[in-house]
Amino acid sequence: MRLRCRQTFRSPINVAQTQKLCVGLVLATFLSACGVTARIEPYKQTNSVIREGEQVVVLARKHHATHEAEAEFIECISKGLAKGRDGLEVHSTTAFEDQLYPWFEPSLAPLNTDELTELLEKPGVLERVEATGVRFVVWLDGSTDRTASGGGITCAAGIGGAGCIGLAWWEDDARYDATIWDLESLTSAGTIYADFLGRSVMPAIIIPIPLIVRPRARACKGLTEQLKNFLTTPYGYGPGPELG
Amino acid sequence: MEIMRISRHRSIATGLLGVLAGTYLVGCASVVTIEAEFPTPVVETLPVRIGLIFDEALTSYEYYEKIPQQATWTIYLGNANETMLGGLFDTMFVETRAVDAVPLTPTDLYNLDGVLRTELEKFEFEVPISKRDEFVEVWMQYRLTLYEPDGALIVEWPVSGYGKSETGKSEEALHRATVVAMREVGAAISTRFAEQPEIEYWLQERRNAAALSADFPLTN
Repeated sequence: MRLRCRQTFRSPINVAQTQKLCVGLVLATFLSACGVTARIEPYKQTNSVIREGEQVVVLARKHHATHEAEAEFIECISKGLAKGRDGLEVHSTTAFEDQLYPWFEPSLAPLNTDELTELLEKPGVLERVEATGVRFVVWLDGSTDRTASGGGITCAAGIGGAGCIGLAWWEDDARYDATIWDLESLTSAGTIYADFLGRSVMPAIIIPIPLIVRPRARACKGLTEQLKNFLTTPYGYGPGPELG
Repeated sequence: MEIMRISRHRSIATGLLGVLAGTYLVGCASVVTIEAEFPTPVVETLPVRIGLIFDEALTSYEYYEKIPQQATWTIYLGNANETMLGGLFDTMFVETRAVDAVPLTPTDLYNLDGVLRTELEKFEFEVPISKRDEFVEVWMQYRLTLYEPDGALIVEWPVSGYGKSETGKSEEALHRATVVAMREVGAAISTRFAEQPEIEYWLQERRNAAALSADFPLTN
């Protein structure tokens, strides 16, 4: 590439311009190589919406042995839902789990609305739930995982200076499922599936230039916006999930 | 004179090496004291008066493990054991009282329906070695032994709990995972205690006895 550019333009000014163009092209290639591919599939099956004075709580599904929604992600969604002029009343996750202890611990937490109905029939549980003021429970399942990585960077240092050369890249996949339960009607109000695949690259030409994307942060933002819409917009919200 | 100088240099070098080795060793020793507030369980109170035995082994529980080529871990669980179990049993039973041993003394013999001894039998943990491991994991097993006031054994029940926490600072993650495991143990005890067949039978006997004494009260 460098050789061809030099052969075509002989004037020193043109060579400088061409070099800039080449560097620009290389940078543009790197920039286009990194980015986030987002996919969100909301599905709402009732017309229930959150009313004034009602609260929502965000809980993590913790019964998996290998993964669970990160505490940081739960906090991000909770804060996001409460933020802004259109912010919702969000109940603290820890406080909810403590108030309903031991029924929302990983081994006992209801996995479906039938189990939820059974749980609310136990002595004292319904009263406690009502006392919290929580109408909707958002169950978050999923995690952010590194799905691929490659390339490499070599660095060297000597008396004359130091420098690196190479290219490293990696892919992080933030995949989450939000299932929303309505505690008033004891039904599942719907689900939101979010998949944010992010590719980061780090080219090194003398110094490493990190071009990092954060799919988890993007997934948090995207899912929060969808949840806000879900909880405030009645029926007919969003397309249904793909079948088959 | 020359010999004295060499000897002084050697002692300084040895001292420095000692300090370095000491720093290294201190740096690799992790001490974690489990302190947490455990919530009161939302469960039905059982109509029995229970004497509680918390041995010193439980209330001063200390776990020590040396992981080769890594670190030594000392985990203090005594206070947390007392806080978790005390609060749990106070909610689960209509009345609780600390007792020293079974059989009970004549004073307590007719004032309590049973005696419960709790021991922490096993504690295991795993702290990630490589960056690929995502969680700190804790597994623990308690043993609950229920006796009649006269010392007759009703049941021995092992209860285990598992907790995990995302890695970060190892000590903090281990603390969180231990608290999760202890909450799991508390959840199992509070929801499954009365479902153990021997305990279910024993509770039924107590209910029958209470009903009988209500029907035919003793008159002096």
